Amino acid sequence: MSLADYDAVGVTLKASTYGVVWFLVLLNLVPLLFILSVSFMPPTEFFGAPHIVPYEPTLEAWTSGFAELKDNLVNSFLIGTGTALLALAITIPGAYAFARKEFYGKKLGFYAIILAMMFPYILLVIPIMGLWNDLGLYNTIPGMILAYQVFVAPFAIWILRDFFETLPKDIEEAAQVYGCTQFSAFVRVILPLAAPGIVAVGFLAFLTGWNDFLFANLLTTGTGPVPAVPVLYGTIGGGSGERVYWGKLMAETLIIGTPPTVLYLVARNYLENAFTV
Amino acid sequence: MASQTSHALLRRTERYRDVLSENWFAYLLILPVLLFLVLLMWVPFVQGIYMSLHNWPFGGDPSWVGLGNYEYLFGWQPFITSLKATLIFASTTLFQLGVALAAALAVREIRRGKSLVTGSFLLSYTLPPLVTGTIWAYMLEPDLGPVFGYLTQWELLEETIYWGSHGDSALAVILFVTTWTFWPFMFLIISASLESIPEEMYETARMYGANRVQTFLRVTLPQLKSAILIALSIRIIWNMTKISQVLQLTNGGPGYETSILAVLLYRFSYEQGQMGISYAVGVVLLTMTIGFVFVFIREFERASGGDAA
Repeated sequence: MSLADYDAVGVTLKASTYGVVWFLVLLNLVPLLFILSVSFMPPTEFFGAPHIVPYEPTLEAWTSGFAELKDNLVNSFLIGTGTALLALAITIPGAYAFARKEFYGKKLGFYAIILAMMFPYILLVIPIMGLWNDLGLYNTIPGMILAYQVFVAPFAIWILRDFFETLPKDIEEAAQVYGCTQFSAFVRVILPLAAPGIVAVGFLAFLTGWNDFLFANLLTTGTGPVPAVPVLYGTIGGGSGERVYWGKLMAETLIIGTPPTVLYLVARNYLENAFTV
Repeated sequence: MASQTSHALLRRTERYRDVLSENWFAYLLILPVLLFLVLLMWVPFVQGIYMSLHNWPFGGDPSWVGLGNYEYLFGWQPFITSLKATLIFASTTLFQLGVALAAALAVREIRRGKSLVTGSFLLSYTLPPLVTGTIWAYMLEPDLGPVFGYLTQWELLEETIYWGSHGDSALAVILFVTTWTFWPFMFLIISASLESIPEEMYETARMYGANRVQTFLRVTLPQLKSAILIALSIRIIWNMTKISQVLQLTNGGPGYETSILAVLLYRFSYEQGQMGISYAVGVVLLTMTIGFVFVFIREFERASGGDAA
C-alpha cells in the first residue's frame, strides 16, 4: 500500500465522518426550525406556499395553545413527578440489596426483574384497564403513577444496581466504625455517592410519565385528569378532511416538548454514565 | 408414610425459616419492587391470557369461546395484512442499528463540538413520540407541508405524493419516522461502550499492521458485541409496541395496511371494546416478538462469532 492511497482512504473516511454527523444533525434540527417558524404564522400564511421566515409573525398560536393545554400540563407534571418519586422509593432499596447484600435467590430475583423490561407492555394495558376499573383507580392520577412503575422499575433497578456496585466494598463498614448505624450509613454515605444514578433514574421515570401516550390515553376517559400528550392525538383528524390549524398544533407540540428537553439538557452528564453496559 | 412426609415438610420449612431469618433485611428491601411487578405484570398477564379465551366486551359479561378468537383472527384477511405490515415494520430495528452504529463511529472521530452534536442527536428521543409523530405529520403533509412543498416548488417532483392513500408509501413513512425517533437509544448504548474500548487495543492492532477494516472487524466490533445485543433485543421489543406515531400519521390505514399488530390490538380494544380478541392479538404479538429476538440474537452470534475468535 503506497502512502498516496493510504491518504485517499483517510480523507474519504474523514469526509464521510463529517457527512454523517452533519446529515444527522440537520435531520434533527431542520424539522424543529420549520415547526418553530410555522408556530408564529397566522393561518393565511401556512395555508400558502412554504417559506421559513413568517411575513407577519403572531403569538396567537402560542397563547391559544397554552390556554388549551394549561390544565393538562399540570396533570402531566404531577404524573411525571409522582412516577419518578415512587420509582425511586421502591427501587433504591431493591437495587441496594441486589448490589451489596448476599441472599438466597438473589440471581433469580434480579433476572426476573430485568426480564420484565423485555415484556411488551402493550399487553398489560387491557387487563390493567379492567383491574383499575374495579379498584377505582381508573381515570385517576395515582392510577397512572402506579401503572408506569411496570416499565420504569426494571430499568431503574438495572441502572441503580450498577451504580451501587461500583462503590467501594467497605465503605459502609468504615462509616459504621465512625458511629453510623446501618441506616444512617446508607443515607449519609451511599446515597450521596450514588446521586448521578439517582438523577438519571429520576429523569427517565419523569420522561416516561410525561411522554407516554398508551397508558395516558387508555387509562383516562376525557372527563377526568387528562395529561397533555393525548390531547394532541386526534387533532389531525385522520384524513377526515377537516382544516387543521397547524400553527396552533405546532405551538402545542413545542409547549409539550420543551420540559423534557430542558430536563434532558440539565441531566445530560448523569445520563451518559448511566448507559454504560 | 404420612409421618415421614410431614417430617420432611417440617425440615424444609425449618430450612426456609433459617434462610429467612438470615436475610430478612435483604428480602425486606427487594419486597416493594417485586410486589409491584407481580401485581402489575404477572397478574394482568395471566388474566389477559384468560381473557383471550373469552368473548369479553368492555364492562359487559364475558362468555367462554375457547380458541375461537384465535381461529377467527387467522381466518380474517385484515389480520394477515397486519401480520405482513408487522414483519416489514420490524425492520426498523435494523435501520436504527445502522444509523446508530454509523453515528457512534463518526462521533468518536470528531474533535470539536462533540457534546453539541450528541445533544442534538438526542432531541428526537427526548420529545414525546406522539409529538414527533405530529411534527412529521405536518412536515410530510401532501398539500401544505414543507417537504413536498419545497420538492414541488424546486421541481424535483412533478406533483405532491398522497402517501397516506397507498399501503406501501404509508408504511414507508411510518418506517422512516419510527427510525428517526428511536435510533438515539441505540446510539447512547453503543457509544458508551465504544468509549470504553481501551486505546491500547488499537495501538496493538496497528503494531501488528492491521488496516482500518481489519481493526474494525477484529477489535471494535467484538468489543461492541454485548452492547449491540442488549440494544437490539430491547429495541425489537419496544419498537413492536409503539403505536402513537402510527395512530397519528395514518390511523392504521388505508384500510388495515399500516395496522401493525400493536395498532390492531388498540383498535379492537379502544374502538370496539372487544377485549378478548384484542388480547388474542396481543398473544400473537408476544409470540412474534420472542421469535424475532431469538432469530436476531442467533444471527448476530453467527455473524460476529467467527471473526471474534
